[in-house]
Amino acid sequence: MEKVFSGRIWKFGNDIDTDTIIPGKRGTIPTIEEMKKYAFELLKPEFGSTVRPGDILVAGTNFGCGSSREQAATVLSGNGVRCIIAKSFARIFFRNAFNSGILLITCDGIQDVCEGGDIVTVEVGKSVSVNGHTFPIGGCPDNLFQIVSNGGLIEDTKLRLASGVQPTQAAKLPLEQRGKGNYTMAEKLLMANAGVRDCKPGDILITHPDFFMIHDIYTPYVLDTLHKMGAKKLADPDKVCIVYDHCMPTAVAKNDTSHYNAGLAIGEEYGVTKHHIGEGICHSLMHEMRYAKPGEVATATDSHTTTYGGAGNFCSGIGTAEMCAALITGELWFKVPEAIKVVLNGHLPDGVMSKDVILKLLGDIKADGGQYKSIEFVGPAAREMDMMARFTVANMALEAGAKCGLFEADEKTAAYYDMPLEEIAWVKAGDDNRYEKVLTYNVEELEPQLSCPQGVDNVHPISEVLGTKIDEVFLGSCTNGNLDDLAVAASYMKGKKIAPDMRFIVTPATNKVYKEAIKLGYIQTFVEAGAVVTHPCCGLCCGMPFGLMADDDRLLSTANRNFIGRQGTKKTLSYLCSPAVAAVSAIAGVITDPRTCPHE
Amino acid sequence: MAAMIESMLGAPAGSIVTVRPDYTVITDGPSNRVTELVKSVAAPEKVVVIFDHDVPTGSPEAAFTWKRIHTFAHTYSCKFVQNVGIGYNWMMNEVVKPGDIVIGGGRHASIYGSVGALGLNVTVPELARVIEGGYYSFIVPQTIVVELKGELEGSAMDAAMTIMKKLGSSAKGKVIELVGSLSEHDKAVICGMVCGTGAFTALWSESKAADVTVDLSEVVPMVKMPCDDREAQEQAAILPRSAVRGVNVNAGQIGGIAGGTIADLRKAAALMEGRKLACGFRLSIVPATSKDYLMALNEGLIEKFIDFNAQIGAVGDRSVTWQGPGVIDKGEKLITTGLYTFDGCMGVKTSMVYSASVESVMEAATTKAI
Repeated sequence: MEKVFSGRIWKFGNDIDTDTIIPGKRGTIPTIEEMKKYAFELLKPEFGSTVRPGDILVAGTNFGCGSSREQAATVLSGNGVRCIIAKSFARIFFRNAFNSGILLITCDGIQDVCEGGDIVTVEVGKSVSVNGHTFPIGGCPDNLFQIVSNGGLIEDTKLRLASGVQPTQAAKLPLEQRGKGNYTMAEKLLMANAGVRDCKPGDILITHPDFFMIHDIYTPYVLDTLHKMGAKKLADPDKVCIVYDHCMPTAVAKNDTSHYNAGLAIGEEYGVTKHHIGEGICHSLMHEMRYAKPGEVATATDSHTTTYGGAGNFCSGIGTAEMCAALITGELWFKVPEAIKVVLNGHLPDGVMSKDVILKLLGDIKADGGQYKSIEFVGPAAREMDMMARFTVANMALEAGAKCGLFEADEKTAAYYDMPLEEIAWVKAGDDNRYEKVLTYNVEELEPQLSCPQGVDNVHPISEVLGTKIDEVFLGSCTNGNLDDLAVAASYMKGKKIAPDMRFIVTPATNKVYKEAIKLGYIQTFVEAGAVVTHPCCGLCCGMPFGLMADDDRLLSTANRNFIGRQGTKKTLSYLCSPAVAAVSAIAGVITDPRTCPHE
Repeated sequence: MAAMIESMLGAPAGSIVTVRPDYTVITDGPSNRVTELVKSVAAPEKVVVIFDHDVPTGSPEAAFTWKRIHTFAHTYSCKFVQNVGIGYNWMMNEVVKPGDIVIGGGRHASIYGSVGALGLNVTVPELARVIEGGYYSFIVPQTIVVELKGELEGSAMDAAMTIMKKLGSSAKGKVIELVGSLSEHDKAVICGMVCGTGAFTALWSESKAADVTVDLSEVVPMVKMPCDDREAQEQAAILPRSAVRGVNVNAGQIGGIAGGTIADLRKAAALMEGRKLACGFRLSIVPATSKDYLMALNEGLIEKFIDFNAQIGAVGDRSVTWQGPGVIDKGEKLITTGLYTFDGCMGVKTSMVYSASVESVMEAATTKAI
């Protein structure tokens, strides 16, 4: 790659999310050649047909927030975009972009002096100039520049494999050395896995993840990339599982079967035997199957991989090229993140759930407030949360841009995993002074919160949106489709009926949750109330054909994302809430406060 | 002795009658278009709008259709029903009484014949006129009496397909009057299916005069074969299953009026005992109504389906789905208890759909072949 180059600008604002870069429904098109035509389809429909190789994107803050889908980067590099300049980048997109051969440059100021169509000149590591204005920029780490220069991670890994690189061995810290000293939980977890006794934010540590998960959105790309890299085998296929949850049941005729077949092919060619086909959502299965354990490191091709941080597991999502490189070598580098400590005091009032806590935090720190950071939850209210409630919070920490969302490991963690507490008690937060900032909340003051259209961080207390008419309610997702969530919803709905024109969809998170919910009578309660129950899967949350909506329809969902167009058209309005709010609102037909409703 | 239809209508075959239907049904199936034609509703209390196919909505288009038919029901003060399952089964269980006349835009209204009611299918423009005027005029058709002899030990679907094959096109435009001793479930399945011959409708009776006789003990597993498009559905070949034995299939579905009620769900569960879902085969089970679903739940069947690794769908009519759970891709094959086999009816063209009994679907589920 040249060190000085120029290109025509395409201008964007803040928080350009991955659904805007490439809508979810386009993200399962099997080839990039086909898919790239739809880049920015909803925001700049002319992009796909008029973008030229060498064009440069200029954007505001948090570019690329949202999903881990690598396609958000590859549709851009596929269209010939080799450089993006923004005030800040979302962290998974950051990795995916470099891995796709796109140079990312952080610059705050150029946005005010240029428009789409202007020509910008880049001097790598020195400056960017447009319309007579010049802005200094920082350097690019050598290893990342090398990846970009080689045309992306696939080419880079191909070169490494061809030169005979072998998987390396993990060198974890022995138990008695783990968690020592004043470090954040993220630091302790990374050091334990990487076998080091000291680190600071910004350091690069090489880990050997204890578990890898791929789900069925990415199976064709993983298979294709493993082939392109020239991989003959994986470092340890027993540490890998493939979950078929986004495209199972097969519902998008032209796409889903190829994803299913690709997953089976990965199994056959590379010896992966842990397949979970239509058994439920990947992130719920990762803790239900005890694949992601406290004190360990896990990674997956998905953004909400942060979920198992609720169990004190360091887990973060990566793109497909990076997953393939990690599967082959067994290694994955992490930049040690800064951390924010969130102290939760008090007792959650009746009708207020852990979902409300994380939504409140998201509303306060916004979609980029936790960018690249570890958000670590401590305090009596955090300890009082049961495991499912912790998983909900950790799941959505991602929506603040966080690298991970962590809870300390305690008796509840040990009981859930049937592990001795002594093995995991070292997963504890450090002193306040180790953290970039400490936020304190008294959860007793909290009212139910909702993410309102059309951003996850557009959070409002329920009092501001009470009475809003709702067309459809969705109870499900890895965020809030667990047994405890169904239990709470059922407690408000027993013996009641949903509003006459309401559509109410229940999707249990896993087969196990489904069966338990049947035994406990929750499913009966929902169906008698007028719900339809779909098979455990991601379903409506990720915009699959399980309740998609039309213009001006209002959806109330217990899931984790309400980006424009995700669950219907770009004029569909999606609200996110807790299971309690979902249940009572399905009955009333309008957004309703569970604190004012009776329950069992 | 007069044919049943002639007694019900008080008029001989060949004469013109005008009936005031007790119920006129609009669903989100092809009949949904009628809401774009209707300008007024003569008897709103008799019009039932049921959203029962695309549940939950598989596309924004489906949600727009929901809005349109819901707005129609609201505007004209008609009953709007959703989340209960297939309209036919719900109507039979909850609403329709012997002697009722039910008119709809679907293809299986003859199912009401199994409860002694008259179920008629009309085209969308005709349906619009029925709704606007509140009446329907037609010429009383001839009747063909089919006697079913003996006990049915196999599947009602196979019996229905045997009858349909024997009738060929000889029942087109006529009323099929069925005589025989079968369970309520089997009567409903057969009644609902035989209109696939192009018959005007079907009814059960005690008639002594038989035009055609079918020996139920000779019923063997049957398969309705794939056909090119919706218009060709009536001509889709019906063959003994032995003719397509060994054909590899990718997926199976158990649902619809002929496979989704509790009797069939019980059968499916029983056939899962001691067997495993073949690796690489996808099985969908779609209970016909919430009532069937709840009964299956209480009998432990849903858990059996989950343990078998089947996918259980939301209640409704999933026989024709371009986007939604259970679809197949280009080049794939599906075996289903659904009644449609035209190319693309369960996903995209070019794929192949075979209609067969629960037993046949379950066998394919363990062997990946018909």
